[in-house]
Amino acid sequence: MSSNSPDAQHLVRLSGVTKTVHVGLRRRPVAILRGVDLAVEHGDVFGLIGPNGAGKTTTVKVLLGLMAPSGGSVALGLDGLGAVGYLPENPYFYDYLSGREFLSFCARLFGLGAGERKTRADALLRDVGLEAAADVHLRNYSKGMLQRIGIARALINDPELVLLDEPMTGLDPIGRLEVKRIIQRLHDEGRTVLFNSHILADVEELCTRIAVMKGGRIVWSGTVAEALTDSPEGLEAFFMRVVGDEPAGAVGDGQPEIVAGETPS
Amino acid sequence: MNQVAAIALNTFRETIRDRVLTVIVLFALVMIVAGLWLGSISLEQQGRMMKDFGLVAVTAFGVIVAAFIAATLVRKEVEKRTVFVLFSKPVSRAAFVVGKFLGLAATLAVVVGGMGLFLFVVTLLVGGGASGMVLVATALIYLQVLTVVAVVVFFSTVTSAILASMLGLGVFVAGQLSHNVLSLSRVGAGALTEAVSWVVFVVIPNFNAVDVKAAAVGEMTVDWGGVALWAGYLVAYMVVALATASFVMRRKEF
Repeated sequence: MSSNSPDAQHLVRLSGVTKTVHVGLRRRPVAILRGVDLAVEHGDVFGLIGPNGAGKTTTVKVLLGLMAPSGGSVALGLDGLGAVGYLPENPYFYDYLSGREFLSFCARLFGLGAGERKTRADALLRDVGLEAAADVHLRNYSKGMLQRIGIARALINDPELVLLDEPMTGLDPIGRLEVKRIIQRLHDEGRTVLFNSHILADVEELCTRIAVMKGGRIVWSGTVAEALTDSPEGLEAFFMRVVGDEPAGAVGDGQPEIVAGETPS
Repeated sequence: MNQVAAIALNTFRETIRDRVLTVIVLFALVMIVAGLWLGSISLEQQGRMMKDFGLVAVTAFGVIVAAFIAATLVRKEVEKRTVFVLFSKPVSRAAFVVGKFLGLAATLAVVVGGMGLFLFVVTLLVGGGASGMVLVATALIYLQVLTVVAVVVFFSTVTSAILASMLGLGVFVAGQLSHNVLSLSRVGAGALTEAVSWVVFVVIPNFNAVDVKAAAVGEMTVDWGGVALWAGYLVAYMVVALATASFVMRRKEF
């Protein structure tokens, strides 16, 4: 991952990023990303949307360095991973740690001292509404509480860029509302948020800009206002128009494509 | 170093609070106490039987805890994606492997050390006199258990949790017998067989060479120089296993 700033306006820039993995005994090449171009501006709440298998999570993993791109370039205008916060999809944490211990552990990984760890953990527990459950083991948390402790963990290092992978999935309406409030607050604080979601109503409500992924590529990007101008019926109608409604299994329906004979770079 | 300590402390907390561990340790303590009964039906051999049975129980349960908890801990981090929590931060893969190992080492120090101390106290109270050799034997059992942890940590970076546990147990059993391979190869075998036997002897850790259980029950004397040499070999073995695991983790994508 490059730590050089893409330019003054953008915090994240992916140019022509490809990712091919090899599966099975015969090491069949499967293209997951097929030239992703993505630019996120400072202070954006950026929504990455697309059908299952479109490559959204892989794009985030490439950004984080959890996967190396097969080609293209990734530029982050940040001082390495120390300025990035991340919430994985369906997060599982450590069952036998309390919320406070878990946040303190994560803070220690960033090199925070004991006093600062406690102050930061207490403040974040308050911010995400888990003060009362701070000393309860995580295995006793509900899904909504786990999602909130996950967001608190993503913020432990006071990051400039926050990556949230499906932060609303599986939450009840109250849980969704709480997570939306947190994202809105992050935006108000001037942080840049990039999140993947299938819940288009939340994307429409929260995001300033969106990108639509399909079949390992960005097929549309722009502001939410532009999308709604294009489809006044709402983001769902816009999404269906951009992605199309081909039956599952059709070429380019969002499933990774097997690349015959392609050698990844 | 701070990150390694944080991961080790986290691993220690996670494992020591696991109820499965509590159940296994309680069962082990029951087995040690059962040695009292075995001793009572052994004429004039109560102390010897208790120590013998107790040390075997400490070894067996220590190795079981090492093989199963080490494998599930490392694989679970990958399969349940907690590893994302670590690697999306500036945490190196080597720090993850070493931190996990040290955390488990601390847990096993409590488990194996606790069982050994319990056996020592029981033999002191009802076994007709305790021997410091029980504690020395426990320390060397701990060294063997740590080697199994390092081997299982390595296997769990390349295969499933259950297979890593089985391979770890397999290496432990083979390590009890590896000295026999060398002895057998010297009985009229060819140069090739002897060379292969040497390779097997070096690759499979020789646990038998640091096993002083028999000395703890007064059945043999110990060549301490030899034990120290083989203990050093086991430490080197652990370093190689962990370095290899770190190398494999560094090449992994999640």
